[in-house]
Formats: sequence, C-alpha cells, structure tokens
Amino acid sequence: MARVTASATGPDLQPLTDRAPGAVLFCRHGRPVTTAAFLHDALTLAETLPDAAGHMINLCRDRYAFAVAFAAALLRRQPCLLTGDRSEAGLATLAQRFPRAYAAAEDLGTGPLPGCPVRPAGEAPATAPQVPRIPARQLAAVVFTSGSTGAPVPHNKLWGALVARSQAAAAQFALDADRPSTVVGTVPPQHMYGFELTVLLPLHAPAASWCGPAFYPGDVNAALTAVPAPRLLVTTPLQVRALLRAGTGLPPLQAAISATAPLDRDLAAEAERHWQAPMLEIFGATEVGSVASRRTLDGDVWAAYPDVVVQQDTEAATVSAPWAEPVALADHIETLDARQFRLLGRRTDLVKLGGRRASLSGLNRILLGLDGVADGVFVVPGDLEQRATARLMAVVVAPRRSPDSILAELRGRVDPLFLPRRVVCVDALPRNELGKLPQGALLALLARHDMPA
Amino acid sequence: MSELKTDPVLNTQHQTAPERAVAELLVNALQLEVAADSIDPEMRLFGEGLGLDSIDALELALAITRAYGFELRSDDQRNHQIFASLRSLTGHIEAYRTR
Repeated sequence: MARVTASATGPDLQPLTDRAPGAVLFCRHGRPVTTAAFLHDALTLAETLPDAAGHMINLCRDRYAFAVAFAAALLRRQPCLLTGDRSEAGLATLAQRFPRAYAAAEDLGTGPLPGCPVRPAGEAPATAPQVPRIPARQLAAVVFTSGSTGAPVPHNKLWGALVARSQAAAAQFALDADRPSTVVGTVPPQHMYGFELTVLLPLHAPAASWCGPAFYPGDVNAALTAVPAPRLLVTTPLQVRALLRAGTGLPPLQAAISATAPLDRDLAAEAERHWQAPMLEIFGATEVGSVASRRTLDGDVWAAYPDVVVQQDTEAATVSAPWAEPVALADHIETLDARQFRLLGRRTDLVKLGGRRASLSGLNRILLGLDGVADGVFVVPGDLEQRATARLMAVVVAPRRSPDSILAELRGRVDPLFLPRRVVCVDALPRNELGKLPQGALLALLARHDMPA
Repeated sequence: MSELKTDPVLNTQHQTAPERAVAELLVNALQLEVAADSIDPEMRLFGEGLGLDSIDALELALAITRAYGFELRSDDQRNHQIFASLRSLTGHIEAYRTR
C-alpha cells in the first residue's frame, strides 16, 4: 500500500515542512495541531488516496482538512486542483479536462465525481514522523483563472515555487521565529491568496493558521480572541469594510493584511485607527502568487518580495519568482527601482469581484453563444470594486427571449459572482461602423433604460 | 399569522408582516432591482431564485445586525437552512432578534 517514499536528499528536494515537530502549525477546534500531528495525518491519508488517480480536486472547507488533503496528494504525486466553483457544472468541466480526477472533501455529497473523504484527527503520534522531501519541480497544485475564451485557464504551481512564496512572505513581514504569529484568514483555502497565507505559510514560516469559521464579523472577532498574540488578520477590502461597519471590536493585532482588490485609503486609515495596527496590502496574481506589499497609508509604492523581480517591458509588466515562469501582469506598472513599483491601472479586459476575476471578452463570448442572442454585452459599473452591492449588468439583443430566460441560461455557465444582476433587452446595441461599442453610446443607452453604470 | 403559514395555498404566495419587513431589508441592503412584495417567501435566495452570492451574504449580515441587533455566525450549522428562503431567514430573525 505504501507509495509514500521516505526522505531522499538533494538540492532540488524541499521538505514538506521545516518546522520543529512540536511547533504549532494550525489551530483547530480551539486546539493546537503540531507539525508531528499534521505529518501523521498527511501520511495516513496519503495511504488511502485512490490509486492511479490523476488529480485531487480539493474541496475541503475546513482549512486543516484542506491542508492535510493537499499534503497527502503531494506525497502521492497527485497535483491538487483548486477551484472556487463547486457547482455541478463547474466540477463536470474540471472532470472533463482532468478525466482521472477525484474529489476530496470532509463530507462527500452526491457530486458527479468519485470522492475520497478527509477527516484528519489532528492528534500527535507517539513518535514524530520523518519529514518527507518533495522534488521542487513536482507539480503541486493547479489554480484557475477565467480566460478570454470564457473557459477556465489552468496555472501550474511547482512545489518549489510554493515553498519560496512562504519563505519570502516570512521575510517580507518579518515573522519572528521566537514568537510565531497566528493567522486568522477570511479567504477560502482554494483561493491563491488564502492557499498561500493560511495553508502553506505555516509549513515554512513561523506562523500558525486558524482553522475555524471566519466569515462574518462576529466569527472573525471570536477567532482572533481565541488565538494567542501576535495575531495577523488576513482578509479582503470587503471584509475590512464589514468589520468596521459592524463595529466589532478586535483584540490587539500585529497587522491586518488585505488583498484581492485595492483597499480604499480612508478605509485603511479607519482600520489603523480602530485596530491600532498597520493595515497592509499584498499585491499578487493567481499566476504567480503574492509578490509585493505595502502599508496602504504610506502611499502608492509597492515593495517587491525579496525573491521577486518585477520588470516593465514594452508590452506589459512581467514578474518572476523562483520556480515559476515569468508572467505578464494584468496591471500596468512603473518601476522605481529593482524592488519598488507603482501600479498605473489595469488592462481593460479584466473584471475583478470578490477576489475572483473574469475576462470581459470571455463573458461576452458566453453571452453571444446563447441561443437566440443576436448581440449582447456585459456592462461593468464604474464602482464595481468599491461598492459591495455593485454587480455586472448585461444588455442583450434577443427578440425571441426574455431577460429571465437569458439569466437562467447564464447561471450554469458563468461564475455566480459575475452573473448580471440585471439583464436588459434592447432592439440594437449602439455599435459604430467598426462594430465597436463606444462607451459614451453605451452609457447613453443605459441611461435611457434607467440603469446607471 | 401562524394560520397563514400553515395554509398550503397561501404558503408560497403571500408574505407575512415580518417577512415583508425582511424582504424590504433585503432589497434595500443589496440594492436589488425587484419589488420587496414580489419576493416569494419560499423562493431560494442564493444561487437560483433571487441569485444572491457570498458578497451579498456579508452585506446582508451587516444589515440584519443593524436592524435586529444580533450577529450572524457561520459556525451555526443551520446557516444553509437559515439562508434558504425569505421564510426561513425571517423565522431565524424572529427567534434571535434583540430589537
């Protein structure tokens, strides 16, 4: 049964974790989970994973279960597929693309995929297991972004690249080995930001990760209160805003970290005032992970992580990090020196919402592919990232169809966050002679339909 | 009101007074483009039906705290049930409201 090979050595092997056997990696049900307990759970689960399986779709909601499933898959050389889309259609698409994939979850429902239950005990064994070493080149995870065709685009994460991100984050945020931090993260582990900061970080940095609920303001406060100082809140602008508006007091923080969307300066100032801690932001991308950070109130200059190189080329800015292909950023930047840069704005095709992103041309292509839709376009409100109630809209030319039927059909094909909150049917779109839709003409059309954009 | 809830014919068509109040809160807090009185009390709020998402859930929780004085917590195993429909959400609010 045992297919988990014991430790080998070599320059291109990276340990599953470099923490001491008794170090606390996770905090679960109010109890610490040590390195030894985590290794024991991962090795035990690895023995029971399906044979000849290609990829594990890690659907675990509990951060600890997620981490154990990820490590077990890594030990069996099965890459983890990370998806935020749990819809039956979304999983079916993944299964089509990765035919030998199976789902790992705490409780397996009646989904379309074969599954493997993940119920780790979190108990330390009598003797600490040996730490397995994994080739840095091994494909550890695959994360997805939505591409311009509307279909998800996979991005490969090598084990070495993931380890490097944790080590760089530890240096960037000056995490102290003598006084490990506890991270309370509000971001799901399937999201690249949540994966890095709340699952991977404890394996190679002096940090533990809270594994209980942390979504509503009341959850976050209870979680932070339950863990020892120093406490790091890892969250998003939406949650920062929700926490401040709810007026929930928080215990003293080492820092609050936000990512997935730009953090409003006034909001950052309010957060620092209320929480008496630096309000930091991480800049990153699904393709490459976290690459730079700043304290929002210090201004618009981002400091790159120590192992990252950011370059502005003629076409686009590229970022390189260890064990990862250089990637073109979705943002234009101005480099100040090798370590610092400013963001100058996003390339226009990208829409971001709730930490997810979509290609506008991809969404439009899906819309135009619907039966009976002669023409149509998604409209992005100007304040999409600032207003929690703002969502996309769609203007459609479809003489034989109702807005409701179009919305119903989009439901199976578009990430729920990017579904239009309103579909307006019109006789024609104001396209110019080149077939393009001038923004002014589109806005005028929307105004006539009482739909401010 | 309790007679109304047990009436199988009226059940999915009419909002009780508390349901109407929660429907107003939903529409106002989330700036939905539907009339509050048109929300079927049994219709799904998330996914299909009203089509709400996770960002809405956070916004809705804030509005509920402000209006009814209690905090929602996600370790409540019944969350799925609570947020299933206007009717179930109203039932939860009526049981836990402090104002």
